[in-house]
Amino acid sequence: MRVIIADDSVLLREGVTRLLEAAGFDVVGHAADREELMRKARAHKPDVAIIDIRMPPTHTDEGLQAARAIRQELPGTGVVVLSAHMEQAYALELLGDDAAGVGYLLKDRVSDGDRFADAVRRVAEGGSALDPEVVSQMLARRRIENPLDELTPREHEVLALMAEGRSNQAIAGLLVISERAVEKHVTSIFTKLDLRPAAEDHRRVLAVLAFVGR
Amino acid sequence: MNSLRRVLIGTAVASIVIGVGALLAIIGGKHNIHRGAYATLTLVIGWGFTGTGLYAWRRRPRSNIGPLMIAVGVSGMLKSFGFSNDSLIFTIGSLADVLIFALLIHLLLSFPSGRLESQVDRVLVGIAYFNATVVQLAIVLLTDAARDGCAQCPANPLLIDRTHAAAVINAAQIEVAVALQGAVVAILYRRWRDTTPSQRRGFAPVLTVGSLTFVLLMTQLIVEQSGVSSGISDGLTLALFGSLACLPFAFLIGLARFRFGQAEAVSSLVRHLGARRGGGGLRTALAQALGDPTLELAYWVPDQDAYVDAAGQVVHIDPPEAGRSATVIDNEGRRVAAIVHDADLAEERELVQAVGAAAALSLENERLDAELRARVEELHASRARIVAAGDAERRRVERDLHDGAQQRLMALGINLRLARDQLGGEAQEAAALLDASLDELNEATRELRELARGIHPAALTDRGLEAALNGLAARSPVPVQLVETPGERLPSSVESAVYFVVAEALTNVARYAQAHAASVTIVRRNGRVDVRVSDDGVGGADPAQGSGLRGLSDRVAALDGRLELTSRVGMGTTVRARIPCV
Repeated sequence: MRVIIADDSVLLREGVTRLLEAAGFDVVGHAADREELMRKARAHKPDVAIIDIRMPPTHTDEGLQAARAIRQELPGTGVVVLSAHMEQAYALELLGDDAAGVGYLLKDRVSDGDRFADAVRRVAEGGSALDPEVVSQMLARRRIENPLDELTPREHEVLALMAEGRSNQAIAGLLVISERAVEKHVTSIFTKLDLRPAAEDHRRVLAVLAFVGR
Repeated sequence: MNSLRRVLIGTAVASIVIGVGALLAIIGGKHNIHRGAYATLTLVIGWGFTGTGLYAWRRRPRSNIGPLMIAVGVSGMLKSFGFSNDSLIFTIGSLADVLIFALLIHLLLSFPSGRLESQVDRVLVGIAYFNATVVQLAIVLLTDAARDGCAQCPANPLLIDRTHAAAVINAAQIEVAVALQGAVVAILYRRWRDTTPSQRRGFAPVLTVGSLTFVLLMTQLIVEQSGVSSGISDGLTLALFGSLACLPFAFLIGLARFRFGQAEAVSSLVRHLGARRGGGGLRTALAQALGDPTLELAYWVPDQDAYVDAAGQVVHIDPPEAGRSATVIDNEGRRVAAIVHDADLAEERELVQAVGAAAALSLENERLDAELRARVEELHASRARIVAAGDAERRRVERDLHDGAQQRLMALGINLRLARDQLGGEAQEAAALLDASLDELNEATRELRELARGIHPAALTDRGLEAALNGLAARSPVPVQLVETPGERLPSSVESAVYFVVAEALTNVARYAQAHAASVTIVRRNGRVDVRVSDDGVGGADPAQGSGLRGLSDRVAALDGRLELTSRVGMGTTVRARIPCV
């Protein structure tokens, strides 16, 4: 798996590089700003690009814009956007209408080695990765007459993992239950929340997000 | 003033010379009776008008009254050249025969300012001049006085043709003149009626004598045209001249009365000042005393080294605007204020100073008021600056935290992770230590993140109110409904204030209200932003308690806004903020 890392902090670039190389990735390029990122992405066409949301010159959302540009220009390249803050708005903006090959992670997640590598791999393979903390915040939002109250605790767990973009197999592995059980829970969730059934994992992410946005 | 003095002296000398010339013309000429009376009257008119004109010109160099009076005097003396036997001098006199009356019309209509104020005035004066110059020239060219019955008149060197035209033109000239003079008398009467009683005493002599002069002139012209005995006509002419001779003195009398009236105004000002209470009263009293309705007051504020008006706004008096002038008033050696008035008043310096001195104490009072208001303005501006500086500082701290501490902690976390992964199965204790450290680190970064968000949320700066408020709503233990948010970005100080008001209000809802739900509405309209946070809790919140809301109250007030808390027991609580936002 070929990766490009874009972050204006040398510390983080080096750290992430070592982590990913230890996990078996091939880091083919670095970039310190948007221009460099676009150049190298077009040149190397990696499987996934890891992008810090804040980059020069304005340090606001250059990373977000670069991620959108890459998704348009290079459909074969996934993007994982790293942010120091969990802002729902950024996540929703990034995912837009199509969550395939997109990830939004907190920078903290980087030091959580397995989960980080896992998420990057998912995105590189065309799936989605939404940071668990972002997901939990979105689902925890209190509502009057919350349909989420109708879910069982197990179904809550499955829902959260679904929203992160995980596959049924991964969910089964994490919760230590059978894949069939996961499928049953998923069907139940979709019915209770009145969600449109979605085959692919990344479409499920969108379905949950749409529900959250209501 | 040197050039003006030279002009005045030159004019004086010239008028003496012309006067002597006129005298000689009258005495030497053989073709008239009443020579003595005419000679005396001519000199009185000529030198009277010239002398008074010179005086007026010296006192008000920029007013036309002085030069006009001099012109009247000179033209009166030139008129008497018509008595001469010398044909050239006689011709000069003939040409200037009625010029004096046109000049008189100009003088009286432009009295006392020296300017012709209305279109009607200007038209009448224009016609008068035309009548007295062009038409007069035509008549002189076409008339031969000697042939027309004046036995002792000299021949006309300019004579062109001797036709009926001369008589017709002459008659027309007289009719126009009579009509003009009638109009002038009517206008003068109306002006006299419209003056204020205090001004009337100064204007009355001139307006009365001037009108009388014109009435006599009209009568004399009508009588002469109708061909009635020349005795009556001559008598009217003498009376007319006599009235004309009185005009300069009427002017001087009026002026004396005016000055007297002003002195009275000053003393009545002093009497009234004790009773007046600030506000516009002092300005009006001064304007009346000085007779200048455009008068303005500017108060001196030593702290700002500038003048301010009654509202505390800085005004610039140096250099003054066109046609205006400023007189500085001191009290006990300290500068108090400046009176900004019409530039003409600058010549009455002693009067303005006297009035200013009389009003000095009241001026000092009003100056203190104005200084106070100027201070309030300054405090207001400085408070807004402080709040803006505070916001900028917070954004900077948040950014520094992000760029500095958070980055390092992340790098630390990565290194710890890598170290952990490198440990094999043997170093159990070391592995456990590293795991514990990683957990602590995660907690630390989480807290740091919350801290940074509390200081100033990045989403507020980068994405605006809706994004930041969504974050607030998401973290609130009570369900929050964002009813409405402005669709566009607002100035950053306004966005910060709105965000922190909502944040504090929602914190209070979570802590005290025991509510089921809360709603947040933010609307921008009519040049302001309305913020409303309501809950359906127990109400009864005390607006005075809680430094959180009070601090916000200050921040909102610094933006000229208002914060209100409504909370009746059992009826929930509503926090409302209104912030101007153009």
